[in-house]
Amino acid sequence: MSPSPIPKTAPFADDEIDVLNRVVGPATAVQRAWLAGFLAGLDAQQGAAANDALPAAAQQKAEPLTILYATESGNSEKLAGDVAKSARKLGFKPSLVDMADLDVASLAGVKRLIVIAATWGEGDPPARAIRAYKDLMSEKAPRLDGTEFGVLALGDTAYVEFCAIGKALDERLAALGAKRIADRVDCDLDFAEPAATWIGATLKVLAPEVAPDAKVIAVDFGAKDLGAKPAPNLNVVEAEVTETINLNSSRSDKETYHLELSFEGAAPAYKPGDSLDLYAENDPAYVDALLTSARISDAALRGEFIKSRDVTTLSLKTMETYAGFGQRYVKGLLEAGTAKTWIAGRQLIDLIQQFPVALDAEKLRALTRPLSARAYSIASSRSEVGEEAHLLISAVRYRTHNRDRKGVASNYAAGLKKGARVRVKLKPNKHFALPSGDRDIIMVGPGTGVAPFRAFVQERRASAAKGRNWLFFGDRQFTHDFLYQTEWQDALKEGGLTRMDVAFSRDTPEKIYVQHRLWEKRRDLIEWLDGGATFYVCGDMNAMAKDVRATLVRAYADVKALSPEAAEQAVAALERDKRYQQDVY
Amino acid sequence: MAELARNEYIKEASDYLRGTLAEGLTDEITGAIVEDDQQLVKFHGMYLQDDRDLRGERARKKLEKAFAFMLRVRISGGVLTTKQWRALDWVARVYGNGTMRATTRQTIQLHGVIKSNLKATLKAIDEQLLNTIAACGDVNRNVMSNPNPYQSKAHAVALELARGISDHLEPHTPAYREIWLDGEKIAGGEPEVVEPIYGKTYLPRKFKTVVAVPPSNDVDIFAHDLGFIAILDDNNDVTGWNVTVGGGMGMTHGEPDTYPRAADVMGFCATRDAIRVAEAVVTVQRDWGDRTNRKHARLKYTIEDRGLDAFRAEVEKRAGVKLAAAKPFTFTSTGDRYGWTEGENGKAHLTLYVENGRIKDTAGGAGMLTGLRKIAEIHKGDMRLTANQNVIVANIGGQERAAIEAIVKQYNLIQPASGLRRNSMACVALPTCGLALAESERYLPDLLTALDARLAAYGLSDDDIVIRMTGCPNGCARPYLAEIGLVGKGPGRYNLYLGAAHDGSRMSKLYAEDLEHDAIVATLDPVFGAYAKEREPDERFGEFVIRAEFVTRTRNGADFHANTGAKRAA
Ligand code: SRM
Ligand SMILES: Cc1cc2nc3c(=O)[nH]c(=O)nc-3n(C[C@H](O)[C@H](O)[C@H](O)COP(=O)(O)OP(=O)(O)OC[C@H]3O[C@@H](n4cnc5c(N)ncnc54)[C@H](O)[C@@H]3O)c2cc1C
Ligand SMILES: Cc1cc2nc3c(=O)[nH]c(=O)nc-3n(C[C@H](O)[C@H](O)[C@H](O)COP(=O)(O)O)c2cc1C
Ligand code: SF4
Repeated sequence: MSPSPIPKTAPFADDEIDVLNRVVGPATAVQRAWLAGFLAGLDAQQGAAANDALPAAAQQKAEPLTILYATESGNSEKLAGDVAKSARKLGFKPSLVDMADLDVASLAGVKRLIVIAATWGEGDPPARAIRAYKDLMSEKAPRLDGTEFGVLALGDTAYVEFCAIGKALDERLAALGAKRIADRVDCDLDFAEPAATWIGATLKVLAPEVAPDAKVIAVDFGAKDLGAKPAPNLNVVEAEVTETINLNSSRSDKETYHLELSFEGAAPAYKPGDSLDLYAENDPAYVDALLTSARISDAALRGEFIKSRDVTTLSLKTMETYAGFGQRYVKGLLEAGTAKTWIAGRQLIDLIQQFPVALDAEKLRALTRPLSARAYSIASSRSEVGEEAHLLISAVRYRTHNRDRKGVASNYAAGLKKGARVRVKLKPNKHFALPSGDRDIIMVGPGTGVAPFRAFVQERRASAAKGRNWLFFGDRQFTHDFLYQTEWQDALKEGGLTRMDVAFSRDTPEKIYVQHRLWEKRRDLIEWLDGGATFYVCGDMNAMAKDVRATLVRAYADVKALSPEAAEQAVAALERDKRYQQDVY
Repeated sequence: MAELARNEYIKEASDYLRGTLAEGLTDEITGAIVEDDQQLVKFHGMYLQDDRDLRGERARKKLEKAFAFMLRVRISGGVLTTKQWRALDWVARVYGNGTMRATTRQTIQLHGVIKSNLKATLKAIDEQLLNTIAACGDVNRNVMSNPNPYQSKAHAVALELARGISDHLEPHTPAYREIWLDGEKIAGGEPEVVEPIYGKTYLPRKFKTVVAVPPSNDVDIFAHDLGFIAILDDNNDVTGWNVTVGGGMGMTHGEPDTYPRAADVMGFCATRDAIRVAEAVVTVQRDWGDRTNRKHARLKYTIEDRGLDAFRAEVEKRAGVKLAAAKPFTFTSTGDRYGWTEGENGKAHLTLYVENGRIKDTAGGAGMLTGLRKIAEIHKGDMRLTANQNVIVANIGGQERAAIEAIVKQYNLIQPASGLRRNSMACVALPTCGLALAESERYLPDLLTALDARLAAYGLSDDDIVIRMTGCPNGCARPYLAEIGLVGKGPGRYNLYLGAAHDGSRMSKLYAEDLEHDAIVATLDPVFGAYAKEREPDERFGEFVIRAEFVTRTRNGADFHANTGAKRAA
């Protein structure tokens, strides 16, 4: 198109015509379409008298784009938000859908679909997405011919079922007749970059075909800038450890640390239920052992390994890279398909020691990935502790393949002394939050799962909430592992807690867990829930959370004499009403 | 009239020992029970304790004290079937701290049972027809009886009397079944009906009864409120009983009007009258005992205050029995006969040494817990606890013997070589005993090793010398009746008592105060030396220290605190 499209005859002053030419001349089709729509809309906004100069095309609507996300800890949700932002810029009319709220039938007729899905458990969907995910995989799912889609998968190569859910959804959509217009990308924990690139590329492909002749993009003046409301500080900040206590008795076989962090100035504006991402460092002893096994001494690499690389995780990806270095046995394991089982319970150091191969700093580094932060539920409420944040961290220690293993972040935390400085980042969780003060709450938090409930109780106490608070706690031994025992005793005395039930698994011949207590108290439980109580579960995902949910279903069936299906529906309904919330790991 | 002691009001208000125990059990958030119930639960055979080793760290860790209960089983005469033994062993490992504690009063204590496991534990015990009723508290406790099986006939009679007295004086309140065994709640009713012998407030203080069969005084008859000494004819048949009253050990440092006292022999009664006499002694103490001051409430003070004659007269009146003059008897020792013995009934018996009564498996040491369990699994006779914290495998049939000997070897259940160690006892003290001022059970073995070295130097290793240690002056291991008594004064500090009679008939005398480990050894060393040099043939250490004027002889009662201290610069 000519560099100066605005005719001299246009109703503008010459200098204005030059300015317009400078803008409109190089503008892309999309930009012009947008401008056209903008001007048209502007008039409409200012209620300018109907004007026959208004181009007819201005009525044309923007292209809809559905962004579906399945999230547990919020990463996918955050990315979905980013997609919506840039999509809007490109003239889409994006609609964000949390898979937790998805009615699969509504997918029929969707023209453009972007899916961002995380994988949890051992290759499971995020808890809140399970229902819709099942539907989508079942014959309930509608045909999707005429739908264009792309899938972005979030995961962690440390898990054998890497990005299993993203993969499954990608296949399923295609199977339902949808057209894959962008190849799936599987992101590891350091997803920021790959995700951004994928989003940019995919939106381009999806971008509406805009012909040079007058197309108009309707501009939604109602659209708010997402950054409008003052957001809490989500940057990495430094904090000082002002208190550290191992809450288990010296006779316990566990160590669970209560950490108090104080911030220069204000603490990140966290709410009860939020977590902190902790940026830990590796155990220098382990790093040295690793370097020695690799016969490498490199101060720079050592420093980097300690501070910022994941040098423990052994993933299939690592194995492949390693095989690439010409390690025949490892190649063999991969080809035989036995690598999966071999890496179970093993770490990078096992690989290097068991199957030595010539390594240099660069190769060794290639076997690692960036060290990711670890999330810890905040165990305090600012309304009680002010500009502090408390954490409750259980030191992960276990023995596999004749070697003592130490969880990186939890043992880093366990080793912190008063006065130490740590780096943390607020990780808000709007899916795990207190209801209004007059509502009852039921909290199920065995082990470190009790952390956020300490925050809940502090908050309810500080805000003199009228609602009742019922806590279920469990651990190994009453005498040695009763985390925060005296605090709960005080809370029960002054009313911060209405009720507390405990289950200790190693005090009796047959193990007793929180779900057993839930079952014993099922009548009162259902009564509370019927009265509008919100049910919270925090802690172990694989065993506890599943059993607790199953127990609640059984409780409904038993107390209300419901069929298993009806009881399942009752709990599903709680989940949809956000009255069954969980933060599990 | 002076104000009644606090416990009297607690008993009065308790509705026959119920208090609020049932409610207390339902509170899962604390391992403790409320203060008044802590007094009442003793009558049910339990004590609320806390692990004193852990006290320092708990508050900071936001944990309450490490509360747990001690359970004392009621075992008259210390006789258990092997099935009962296996059950107690199981309970100790599953609900207790993994050890059984043979006590100085012939029973088993379990430590470390947390509140939430009390009911399950007591049910398991109940299933074995055992219970913990009145094993503690202001009532007649476990009745001891000489367990020696090698005088089978006399022993059988003694055990029968012990059980008879125990049953007759057992509290009748249904509270125990109600609270611990979910029994039916039976309404209060008329005091006399509920507790014909005790009434609403039971006794002013604990009350202990024992039965002895000479020549063995292993039950330490003179240390108890009430005792029966079997009087045997020439073919070892029991002709009747000498009755002893007013013995006791407990005292308080720095309070001379509290003192240990050796019982008086009050007279002789026939077997058919024994239980009636026992009941009369109990009811007189119930009515005459001092309920205003618990430190002056034991029968020994009642008798010191009222005089033996007045007491005897009242007992005879209530029992409707005239006591004859006491018959002569001789005790030769308070110790146990270790190793194998043959009984009149042709059965064999094996007395095993248990270090300070703590039945446990020690790495490298004896496998007491497992060893005794193995024996209880094959043994067809019974198991007996001695008053010296030891265990007798009794009534072993000929064919069993080899198998049992094999287990004894395998688990290294051998008696110590040293005569001092063979005759040693220590009370529990730390970490469970709330009254301990110093270590006892956990310390005595090391002290003995040091003393044994000195004794060996004087060639006294084989001599039977009775040594007993307690962590406080309450005297649970009867230290004032030991030839060498060590009583805790403070952390690592002990008072040293010498000069008690080897047969348990005379109390000792304070010899030196506030001794720490090295000082104990240094103080005893020259006395050992002198004993080795100057002793007369067969002269006992307890007699020697008096004749050689290291200490003065204790006559009785308040005289215990007179002319104390070392009389001879060793
Ligand atoms: C287990 C045992 C010591 C042992 O190593 O075997 C024992 C252990 C305790 N005795 Fe005892 N006494 C034990 C035999 C004795 C004896 C010896 C005897 O009776 O032959 C005595 C001295 C005789 C006497 O009663 O005078 C004895 C005199 C006391 C006293 C002092 C009583 C007094 O009149 O002053 C107390 C404290 C009290 O009652 O106030 C006491 C209190 C205690 C308590 C329950 C501490 C308490 O009251 O909180 C101890 C529990 C420690 C623990 O953790 O187990 N215990 N106690 C004995 C259990 C006997 C049984 O099976 O019933
Ligand atoms: C939202 C959220 C909130 C959380 N809140 C808390 C909290 O409040 N408190 C808390 O303590 N933790 C919490 N966690 C868990 C925490 O983030 C870490 O996962 C945990 O501390 C372990 O991290 P690490 O670096 O110490 O162990 P890593 O170095 O990450 O090692 C953990 C890995 O070791 C392996 N492993 C662990 N145990 C065994 C075993 N027995 N046998 C074989 N392999 C094993 C597993 O592969 C496991 O993934 C939370 C997690 C999430 C997602
Ligand atoms: C307890 C737990 C289990 C996980 N299981 C898997 C898994 O099986 N496979 C996988 O690829 N990623 C797994 N992940 C990694 C998550 O998918 C990854 O953290 C993702 O970024 C979370 O996204 P979200 O915040 O949207 O839920 C797991 C993470 C956690 C904390
Ligand atoms: S003597 Fe004292 S320290 Fe020893 S058990 Fe008895 S009360 Fe406790």
